[in-house]
Amino acid sequence: MSRVRESALQAGLVGCHTCLKVSAASQHQCDRCGSHLHARKKRSIEHTIAFGIAGILAFIPANLLPIMVVTQLGVEENSTIIGGVATFWSMHAYPVAIIIFIASVMIPGLKFIAIAILVAAAKGYLKIDPQQANRIYWLTELVGRWSMVDVFVVAILVGLIQMGNLMTIRPGGAAVAFGLMVILTMLSAHSFDPRLIWDRLRIPKQP
Amino acid sequence: MSHHTHTWPRLETRVHRIACHFCDSHHLVDLIEEGQAAHCRQCGQVLYRNRKSSLAKAGAFGITAFCLLLTALLFPFISMDVFGNKSSISVPGAITSLWTSGGTFIAVSMAVFVVILPFTMISCLLYLCIPLLIGRTLPFASPIMCGFQMLQPWVMVEVFFLGAMISLLKLVKLAEIDLGIGFWSIAGLMFCLAGAVGGIDKVELWDRIELAKSRRRPA
Ligand SMILES: [Zn+2]
Ligand SMILES: [Zn+2]
Repeated sequence: MSRVRESALQAGLVGCHTCLKVSAASQHQCDRCGSHLHARKKRSIEHTIAFGIAGILAFIPANLLPIMVVTQLGVEENSTIIGGVATFWSMHAYPVAIIIFIASVMIPGLKFIAIAILVAAAKGYLKIDPQQANRIYWLTELVGRWSMVDVFVVAILVGLIQMGNLMTIRPGGAAVAFGLMVILTMLSAHSFDPRLIWDRLRIPKQP
Repeated sequence: MSHHTHTWPRLETRVHRIACHFCDSHHLVDLIEEGQAAHCRQCGQVLYRNRKSSLAKAGAFGITAFCLLLTALLFPFISMDVFGNKSSISVPGAITSLWTSGGTFIAVSMAVFVVILPFTMISCLLYLCIPLLIGRTLPFASPIMCGFQMLQPWVMVEVFFLGAMISLLKLVKLAEIDLGIGFWSIAGLMFCLAGAVGGIDKVELWDRIELAKSRRRPA
């Protein structure tokens, strides 16, 4: 790989994370937007790992507990996310089954793996193409919010189906776990600083 | 006079320094023409874009989004009919129904991610864009712009809309479904939010705010 361009940090500069204005590294506050200036996100790796682990902990009950409890003519039935996917699959509604599976099981799962790869690369345990790392980071940030879809499905169904004795729906514990999981993984991805991966490529050039 | 007639006004019209927010490489960037984007020479990420009639577009989409959010709150979202048993919900109706049936957390997340944050974000954008159309800013423009940027990832109207689509597919077999004005408002809101937020680059907004502020200050 060709030489990596000098970073703002190496040049004694700092780019504002909010408004992108470049200031001298000695400055503590951005002239333009008033944000605190720091060359790299503060305690980025620690925060990413902490939120990530909390997210994994929430991911377990999110998949094990029922997301909805449906009471139909006095009979209570728990439905889990995987159960919902299976139901749509057996109804031959394959696209819906696939969308739910991707949004609620695959994306969160892949997101944890992506965050682990990024952290490992930033810590130097793993060598990956930094362009690839950029792409992983960008995707992780983009895709995370879509997992919230399950929580909204529950919200709409519970809001709509309250028909006395005929049928009622209550939200189950997984709905809370799921919502928390999405928020925690979003915070985890948001805490990560991709500059750390590029910094690794620059260090050997510094005497 | 600058050759760059289509570039938004800046405080400094000469080349300026910018650091890539992905790899922190710093470059001197020339002003760019409408429709162009400046890319990082190291990693290729977009540093910023110059979008066509950005300010007017962001303002127009913002105002439309504001109105659509209001109609989404006032009109029914989905109505359904099971054996003559009619029920209908609006977005606030769903939130209160969730709250009373024990789904406090979901009620709060729906209120926050689908109503409160979108409402706040659009208000921030309009507070900035409308005065900027005549080159001015109102007080507290900078913290409001910071807030606008911070809120963006937490506005989940489009995710809610996908959720509504999936719910409909679950319900279709069960009952007769009618889509209300609220539903179409949310659909429109989704597009207008994308237009408003994607229509203007944050670097452009900051440049315009900076310039407008410098004008306000006595020389
Ligand atoms: Zn700044
Ligand atoms: Zn870059």
